[in-house]
Amino acid sequence: MIPEFDRFVEAIYRPLPATARINTLKTDRDRLLCRLEGGGVACRPFAWYPSGIRLQTEKPGNLVENLMGHIHLQEEISMVSPVVLDPRPGERVLDLCAAPGSKTTQIAMMMENRGLLVANDPANGRVASLRSNCEKAGAINVAVTRYDGRRFPAQKFDRVLVDGPCTGQGMARKDQKVLGRWSLKRSLGLQRLQAALLKRGVEVAKPGGTVVYSTCTFAPEENEGVVSRVLDQVRGLSLQEVSVPNLKGSPGLSIWGGSLFGDEMKRCARYYPHKNDTGGFFVAKLVKE
Amino acid sequence: MAEIMGSRFGIPPEAFEGVSFFLRGRNVWAFSLPQVPDLDFEAVGLRFLSVRGRIPKPTTYALQLFGGFATKNAVDLSIEEARVFIAGERQQLSAPVEDGYVVVSHGGDVLGCGLYSRGELISQLPKERRIEEKEIESFREGCGR
Repeated sequence: MIPEFDRFVEAIYRPLPATARINTLKTDRDRLLCRLEGGGVACRPFAWYPSGIRLQTEKPGNLVENLMGHIHLQEEISMVSPVVLDPRPGERVLDLCAAPGSKTTQIAMMMENRGLLVANDPANGRVASLRSNCEKAGAINVAVTRYDGRRFPAQKFDRVLVDGPCTGQGMARKDQKVLGRWSLKRSLGLQRLQAALLKRGVEVAKPGGTVVYSTCTFAPEENEGVVSRVLDQVRGLSLQEVSVPNLKGSPGLSIWGGSLFGDEMKRCARYYPHKNDTGGFFVAKLVKE
Repeated sequence: MAEIMGSRFGIPPEAFEGVSFFLRGRNVWAFSLPQVPDLDFEAVGLRFLSVRGRIPKPTTYALQLFGGFATKNAVDLSIEEARVFIAGERQQLSAPVEDGYVVVSHGGDVLGCGLYSRGELISQLPKERRIEEKEIESFREGCGR
């Protein structure tokens, strides 16, 4: 399943580089880079995303730029799903599984603080961090809700992000324990929840609307398995090619174990840690007819 | 709301174009739409101003977003003064501002809200955002405006 498996194994035992997103709601890129350089912090923008930077500093959380909300500390690869979602200023957007809000605040920034972004998360404890991150980002177009995502009320959105709860294998570089906790049973249990969330996400999208499904795990049961299940259940959905220039992705799997997901799953993207020196990730893009 | 921010900080009304304000409890919230959505929500927009006290108090997050437009009751701190402010402490400071809440910046970038009273500047940074002076990372001169 994973290309260059030796390099993959080696990569997941290395800690992640410190990365951040420049928050253009509060500053601009040149000014922020000037500030960091002036403070002696070496930083390098990502090749694939101009708002993302790698930082060389001991405690990025203690940078004044972080206090001011000019940067948001965020893992590089998690910035990819809002980029694929491609929200525009003035639209109505739903982030169905929003906490702790890294992607929410990235979406608010891409919307230039205009339109409506509903950030939903049912978990009481996690909503506090979501609200705190939205405040720090200076997001004024966000409404925070706490519905069970599977039963989100009938509304119509231009774009929906379903960044589902998952077994988090792609986070192994941050916390090795995630690998020990994984089991097929957990993946299959989550698959039901993930598919129900994605299905609801699709239902509340307008005709012509875009729905992006992402996870930070490698398990096909939680990725292609979920997308193919929803495609089977819901008519009038098309699976679009995910391709981000200058970011090395691998195609989704058409077959895994005894399951045949279908050739179209190759349009999804898998991101492996050794390809871009990031965490691991999966992204699928659906468009409703 | 634009009037309050205009009379206290000289922020031009254009800065709040497309921003609506709602009073909920003892706080004023800034939001991108004139109507709150028809949903059962926890929060809408950004907590902008507290009307709990005798005089309205802008939040640090509101000033970080709009304080850059202030033309009065704003102080730009030296690096040493800024470190004290970031740590959440009070300091003696002679500044051409009126007593009350002020926009506090360093090198043209807004740090947050301060309370100026009788020659003393008291940091109003939320406790969870403060950074102890010895813990502040790589902080030197700003980049000017």
